[in-house]
Parts: sequence; C-alpha cells; structure tokens
Amino acid sequence: MAGKSGRSINNVPESSLKRAFLSWEGILLVLFVVINIFCACYSEYYNLNSLLRQMPVYLAEVFLMLPMAYILVLGEIDISVGSIVCLSATMSCIVCNTGAPFIVVIITALVVGTLCGAVNGFILTKFTELPPMIVTLATQIIFRGIAEIILGSGGSISASNTDGFRMLAGKVGSVPYILFLVLILAVIFAVILGKSTFGRRVYAIGTNRLTAYYSGIHVQKIRMIIYTIMGTVSGLCALFIVSSSYGANTTTGNGFEMDAIAMAVFGGISSTGGKGNLAGGVISAFIIVCLRVGLGQKNVHAQVILLILGVLLICAVALPNVVKQIQRTMKTRK
Amino acid sequence: MEKKSLVKKITGSREALLAIILLILFAVVTVISPSFLTPRSLMDMLKNNAVTMVMALGMLCVMLIGGIDISIMSTLALSGMSIGMLLKYEKISSPLLAFLIAIAIGVACGFLVGLVISRADVPPIIATMGFMYVFRAMGYLVSNGGEWAGAAALGTFKDFATTKLLGINCVIWVIIVCYVFFFWFMKWTRTGRKIYAVGSNPSAAEVSGINVKNIKLLVYMIMGLLAGLGGALQVSIYASAMPDMQQGGEMDVIAACVIGGVSMSGGRGSVIGALFGSLILATIAKALPLVGIDALAQNTIKGVLILVVVVVNVVLQRVADRNALKGREM
Repeated sequence: MAGKSGRSINNVPESSLKRAFLSWEGILLVLFVVINIFCACYSEYYNLNSLLRQMPVYLAEVFLMLPMAYILVLGEIDISVGSIVCLSATMSCIVCNTGAPFIVVIITALVVGTLCGAVNGFILTKFTELPPMIVTLATQIIFRGIAEIILGSGGSISASNTDGFRMLAGKVGSVPYILFLVLILAVIFAVILGKSTFGRRVYAIGTNRLTAYYSGIHVQKIRMIIYTIMGTVSGLCALFIVSSSYGANTTTGNGFEMDAIAMAVFGGISSTGGKGNLAGGVISAFIIVCLRVGLGQKNVHAQVILLILGVLLICAVALPNVVKQIQRTMKTRK
Repeated sequence: MEKKSLVKKITGSREALLAIILLILFAVVTVISPSFLTPRSLMDMLKNNAVTMVMALGMLCVMLIGGIDISIMSTLALSGMSIGMLLKYEKISSPLLAFLIAIAIGVACGFLVGLVISRADVPPIIATMGFMYVFRAMGYLVSNGGEWAGAAALGTFKDFATTKLLGINCVIWVIIVCYVFFFWFMKWTRTGRKIYAVGSNPSAAEVSGINVKNIKLLVYMIMGLLAGLGGALQVSIYASAMPDMQQGGEMDVIAACVIGGVSMSGGRGSVIGALFGSLILATIAKALPLVGIDALAQNTIKGVLILVVVVVNVVLQRVADRNALKGREM
C-alpha cells in the first residue's frame, strides 16, 4: 500500500482487495502450497488423511484468530484470550462433572467467555484513555488467577463424563466437525469485516478513531461488541480444547493469544490498525496448522516449530518495510 | 487557588503517592505479621525479586519511548542457559566471565530486536513477540533439548548470590548499583534526556536533531543488557538454569512499571517510580502468605491491583483536567 492513499477509508475496500490478492494473499497461497509440498517430502506420514486426523488440536486456535483480526484492525490488542480459554475450559469441566446435560456445558463455556470479554470491553469503553494492552494484561492475570483458585492446589481437573466432548470431536466421513465450523465462522467473519457496514466502520475506527467518531460512528459500542465476541469465541475454543484433552489445568490456553495474533499478523493484518483482511489471516492460519502437523509427525520439538514461526512472523512484517525503504532510496538517488 | 495546587501536587507527584502507598503497605503487613520488618526478611524479599527489579529499569526506558518488549524473559532464558551450559561443561569457571558472557548475549539479542524495530519499522509488540519465540527456542536448543544445569554443575558461580559485601548480599548490591546508575543516567545525561524527548514527541525530537532511530536501537540494547544481567542473576540466585525459566515473567516487569506510573504511550515515568512500582509488587507477593491469604489467590490480587492502579490513575487525571478547565473559566 503506497504512501498516504492507503490510509484513507475510501481506498480500503477496492484497492486493498485487488492489490492484496495480487500481492500478500498471493504470496501466502504460494507459501501454503510450498509448505504442504515440504511437509509431504519431509514426513512420509503426511497426507490428507493424517492431516485431517491431527488437525483438530491446532484448529481450535484458528477460532481465536477471527475476532482477533477485528481487534487488530481496530488498532488494538487483546492478550487475555488465552486466560479466558483457561477459565471457560475449567468452568465447563466443572459443570460437566456435576452431571448436567451437555448443552448446559456448552452454554456455560460460551457464557463464561462472553462475560470475560464483556469485562474487557466494559473497562476499555468506560476508561477510553487506557491502552488495551495494559487492561488485557491485568485481566489476563485475573482470569487465569480465578481459574487457579477454582482448580485449587491440584491445578487440574478432568471431565468425568466425556460423551458430549467426544461427540464434539466427531467427524463427517473423515472430516472433523471443527474444520467445518472453522470454515463457516471464517466466511461469516470475513464477509462481515469485508462487506458489511459494521466491517467498514471497524476499518474506519482503525484508520482514524477521531474522524470515525465525528462522522457519527458509535466507536465505543463497536469496541464493546468486538471485545465481547472475542470472549464468546474464546469460550468456543475452550470447548474444543477440552474435547481434545478431556480436561483443563492452569496452563490450558497458555500463549494462545500470541498464536492468534501471530496468525493474523502473518496474514497481513497490521497491528497498527485499519489494514488487512481475513482472507490472508485464514490462509496464514492454515499454513501454520499444516506446518505444525507436518513437523509434529517427525517429532520436531514444539520449541523448534515456534522458532520457525517467530522468524516467519518477523520476516513477514519486516520484509515489506525493508523493500519499501530500498525502493524509496533508489528513487531519491535517481 | 491553594486547594487546586494541593490537588495538583498530589496528582502531579506520583512518586510521593507511591511512597505513601508503600509505607501504608509496610505498616499494615508489619502489624499483622511482625516478622516482616526484619532486615533478613527484607533482604530475602529484595533478593527474590532482583530479576524483576533490575529489568524494570530496562522496561522503563523501552516504555518511555512508547515501545514495549515482551521478549525479555526469553533473552533471560537464552543468556542464563548459555552460561549455565558453559559452566556445566567446564568451558569457563570464573563468575565474572560468566556475567560478562550473559550480558554480551543479552546486548546482542537487544541489538537484533532494536534493529528490527528501528530500521524495519516493525511494531514493537509484533517484533518482540516473534523474538520471544525465537530466543526461547534458542535457549532450548542451547540446553541440548531440555537439559538442566543444576546446583552441582554451577560451581563457584552460585556462591555469588550467597556472599555478602559490607553486610549486604551481592545481589542487592547489583540492584543498588543499577538503580543509582540509572537515576543518574536518566536525569543528568544527554542520552537519558534524549530518551525522554523521543518519548514525549518523536517528530519534535527528530526536528531538533536527535537521531530517533538510534535512540530506539539504544533503548532496546539497554533492555537486552539488563535482561542478560537478569539471566546471570537468575541462574545465580536459584542455583539452576533451565530453558523455561521465568516464562511469563515479562508481565511482572511490565506490571511493575505500570504501577510505578510509567505511561504506555511514552514520555512519562521515572526511575523512582519504577523502583516503587517493583517494590510494591514485591511486598504484596511477600505479604500475602504472611497475612494468611492462599498463595493461589496471589495472581488474581496482582491483576486486580494493576487494574485498580491504572483506573485510579485515569480518574485522577480526569479530576485534574477538570480542575484545570475550571481555573481557565474563571
């Protein structure tokens, strides 16, 4: 996006979509294919079947990326989502162990998540001077702290009645439910962000909050909605985490916020606000999922995978800037 | 008029407010548990929080220019783990050399972070998030895939944390030296003032001839240096080095700064504030078990405290602004 034109709201819908498909999303798609070929060469177990079988564990984090993209487009950040996942996973296990029907468990997880998100949103909209980073840092400690208190000295809980969770981890043919759900939600979130009035307003706020406010957008209402939805989706993520591990402990969801942010930023969504779209975010999320499955099959340690992710993330953000700077110096030299 | 100036004085001087809070905290804890206010217990408290206290200084510098660094504990793990392995396999034996190596690794890490942030214009939170993964993984690789360096392997190095100089533990001397140096550095040196200038208004600083990019680079290098020092201290105090040490500890450092009144948007904050902020955090962590509150509730209370501090800060600022407006109307 060149110079100042990229900052204006008018330019965002057409030019960013057209240009982005030519550039960043295109690169990501190529990278997606390359990663898959690489994984297939590297690991002899890597094929569609094993991919579909091992995907669900990593897919739960992709949920978080969707509303996180909205928050990043607003130019803000939410680092409390991992703790919300922990708290709602804990609560859903507890409700499950009381023998309640599974629908109640689902509702509990979603309601706990929504409430946590609403707390974030409430504080941030009541005290607009506060940076989201600090508020969500505090709530990150609080939410996980509450989970720690609930879990007690043992620090973990396991779901005694796993029937419902097992159902959640079920499959249609060989395709797990969670993949369908991720794709459906991704389409909904992408359409709302890219095509609806609400989405345009999110971009407007991210581009220039004051201008957005003066042009009659309810900035605080929109922020409140987005933070609350972030909480709800965290609750959803918690359900799938429990359905893959049948329990929760104090470290459940540790670092999920970073993974979600990394997926979104790697997908071209700028953390300074107003730029990027969810197509890139979804592609990059699947790149990361495939990479994790492929390397995981060959017992590559999780830390090494994180190392690769870290380097990819830094390069993804740094390279376009460096290229732009080089172009600028070339121009001035001429 | 006098009333207004009084309000202004209290809201203006955050350090005084923090000192009062700290004193009240000390008094309350001492009344409940007299064993708290003994030199021994206070020294233990300082020693156990040395890493956070020292690194709060670096975070102060980073936050002053409006940045943030969440990679610091990974830098700490990498530098601490490196000297841990060097000592374990007897490549080096002198504690001084170990400290220097840890600091050098820290500076190198900080240089890399600063380079990416200042030259490639990557937002600090994203860049340091990436490096958080990278350095942590490097620390893990250095440890040969999760090896520990236990107390037996560390030889004379771990004695640093138990020796006393003039009746005060060496670790506490390190804290004192760091704080005195930074108090002088931030207040009376040109570079220190430049950091404040860049933080309060980067474009004005640029126009007045300050190389903003270099200041940014410098700030992250300072942070890296202190993280390296923190790594050496960590290994020495706990007499062990493992690749996952202090994971998540960066939040404590940021919290200490925020409680100490360092603004996230840059330009506001002081060394004294960082000192009081980290002391308040340390006192609460130490006091909760003494007062009889379950250690499980510690994190929740810490989080609530941070929230209360920042909210009260906003409310005070609003009151001050309103008063200032009133004065103008008259």
